[in-house]
Amino acid sequence: MEKIRIIIIEDEAPARDLIKHYLKDLDSIEIIAECGDGFSALKSISALKPDLVFLDIQMPRLTGIELLEVLTEKPEVIFTTAYDQFALKAFELNAVDYLLKPFAKRRFLNAVEKAIEKIRSGAGNKVPANELLAKKPEPSSPVNRIVVRKGNAINLIPVEQIRYVEAQDDYIMIYHAAGKAMKQQTMKFYEDNLPKSDFVRIHRSYIVRVEEINKIEPYGKDNHVAVLKSGDKLPISRSGYKQLKEELNF
Amino acid sequence: MKHPVLSNKVILVVWWLVWLFITLGQLLLYYFAYGRFTTASIPDGIVSLVIYSGIGLSLWYPFKFFNTEPRRATAIVGNIITSGVISNFLWIIITKYLVLAILPEQNDYLAYWDASFPYRVGTGVFMYGLIVLAYYLFTSLSNLSEKNAREAQLETLVKETELKMLRSQINPHFLFNSLNSVSSLTITDPEKAREMVIKLSEFMRYALSKKDEQPVSLRSELENLRLYLEIEKVRFGDRLSTEETIEDKCLDIKMPVMLLQPLYENAIKHGVYESTEIVSIRTRVSCGNGYLEIVISNNYDLTPSSVKGTGTGLLNVSRRLDLFYGNKASMKTFKENGIFSVSLFIPSEV
Repeated sequence: MEKIRIIIIEDEAPARDLIKHYLKDLDSIEIIAECGDGFSALKSISALKPDLVFLDIQMPRLTGIELLEVLTEKPEVIFTTAYDQFALKAFELNAVDYLLKPFAKRRFLNAVEKAIEKIRSGAGNKVPANELLAKKPEPSSPVNRIVVRKGNAINLIPVEQIRYVEAQDDYIMIYHAAGKAMKQQTMKFYEDNLPKSDFVRIHRSYIVRVEEINKIEPYGKDNHVAVLKSGDKLPISRSGYKQLKEELNF
Repeated sequence: MKHPVLSNKVILVVWWLVWLFITLGQLLLYYFAYGRFTTASIPDGIVSLVIYSGIGLSLWYPFKFFNTEPRRATAIVGNIITSGVISNFLWIIITKYLVLAILPEQNDYLAYWDASFPYRVGTGVFMYGLIVLAYYLFTSLSNLSEKNAREAQLETLVKETELKMLRSQINPHFLFNSLNSVSSLTITDPEKAREMVIKLSEFMRYALSKKDEQPVSLRSELENLRLYLEIEKVRFGDRLSTEETIEDKCLDIKMPVMLLQPLYENAIKHGVYESTEIVSIRTRVSCGNGYLEIVISNNYDLTPSSVKGTGTGLLNVSRRLDLFYGNKASMKTFKENGIFSVSLFIPSEV
C-alpha cells in the first residue's frame, strides 16, 4: 500500500519535533516536508501534493486559514493549534480533526487514523476550500489583509487599500490601489469582515469604500449610480441607497 | 448612630451652657409675666432646666427612630408633634410638682406658675423645635459624611478591581504553546524540559502571587520578564533575540507589578509571530531628574499582518499608568523604519 504523504506546517521547532516523534512509529505514513511559515507551506503543498497536512494557524507570512483560502487542491487537514475552541468548533465538520496544544499522543494518533481512513477510502477531500471557509466564524479581531493568488504568486492586499469589491459568479473581484485581483470567496465574507465604518454594501454585487464615492447620480426612473473617484460607475440598489443615506446623512 | 450629645464631652458642656442661657431667658420672660421675682423663681428655673435638658437628651432616641425608618412625611410630622406634646406636658407638670415638693411653703409659687403658664407652653414649644432642628441637622450631616465615606470606599474598590483585572491578562496562547514545547522537550531533551517547567512555574508564581497592588522594584520586574523571554526563546529558537541596556542605579525604583508584560507580549505577537526574520527585542532603561524611562523596541515585518491588533495591550498599560500615577506618567509609541518602540516615563520612587 502506498504511504500517506504528510507535510508538517508549524512555526515552532519544539512543536514540529513533537509531531515527528508521535508519527515515528507509524509505517503507513511518510513525512515529505516541514514548513515553518505560510509561504513555504504554500510552495511545498503545490509542488508535493501531500495527502495530509498538520496545520498551525498562527504563522508568519500566511496564517493557516489564509493558506487554505488560496489552495486550489486541498489536502486533508488536521489543525494543531492553541487557538481558542470557539473558532475551531466550526472546523469540526470539514477538517479531519483539530488538536488543541498540548495534545496527548493517543488523541493525536486517533486523528491520524481518522485521516488515513478517509484518504484510503478514496474519498479525498471533496469539500472545496471555500465551503470549509464559509463556515469559518468571524475572527475575534478585524481582518487586516486579503490573500490572493495569481498563478504561483501570492499577493497580500491590505484592507486599507481596497476600493471596492464586486461579485462575479463564484468569485470576488477585488479592486485595490494597485489594480485588481480575483478570489474564490463569498460576498458575505466581505460584508462581515470589511470594517463597517468604511464600507457600504450598495448593491447585491458591490461593496464599496465610502470615501471612494465621488458623487451619487440618478439613473433611469428611480435608480441611482455611484460615481467613484476613479470614474467607475457602480449601480446602487434601493436598499443600498437607503444604507448610503444613513451612512452619509443626506 | 451614636447619641450626638452624650458621645462627645465638649458637645455635652456646650449643651448645658446653652440650657443655662435658655434658663436665664426663661427667667426674664416669667419675670415680665408675673411682674416680679419670687424666691421660687431661681429654683423653678434650675428645676425646669434640669428636666428639659434631660428630656431633650432622651428625645434623641424616639427622634432617631422616627427618622431612620422609611416613613411617610406625614407620619414623621405626626410623631414629632405627639412626642412634643407629651414632653412639654411632662416638663411643665413635673417642674411644678418638683418645685412644690422642694419648697412646700412657697405659696406665691402657684400664682407665679399660673401667670407664666402660657409662656411655659411657648418656651416649651420653642425649645422642642430647637432640639428637633438640631437633631435633624446632625443626622442629615452625618448621613452625608457617611455617604461620602461609602462612596470613597466604593471608588477605591472599583479602582482596585480594575487594576487587578488589567493585570491578570496573561495570554493563554503563551501558556498553552509553552506547555506544548514542554511536552515536546520531555522527549527530545528532558533536562531542558525540566528547566522550562521551572521557568514557567517561576513566571506564573510571580504573576499570580502579587495579589495586591504593592509596587515592586524594577529589578524584580526585569528578572521576571527575562524568564518570560527565555521561555519564548525555547518556543521560537533563533527567531527571537534580546538585548538589554540598563543603568544599574535604576534597579531599585518601584513600579507597578507586571506593567511591562503586555509590551513584551506585543513584541512577540506583532514581531516574532509575523516574521520569518530574526526579531530582536531591545530594552533600554535610564533614570534621572525624578523620572524612570523605559524603552522597549522590536523590529517587525512590514507586510500587513493577517488581523489588525486591537490595541488592548497598549491601552491596558496606559490605563494602569493613569490609575497609578494620574497624569505624572506617560507612554509614547513610535513606528519607524520597521522598528516599533514604546517608551514609558514613570516618576521614580525608591
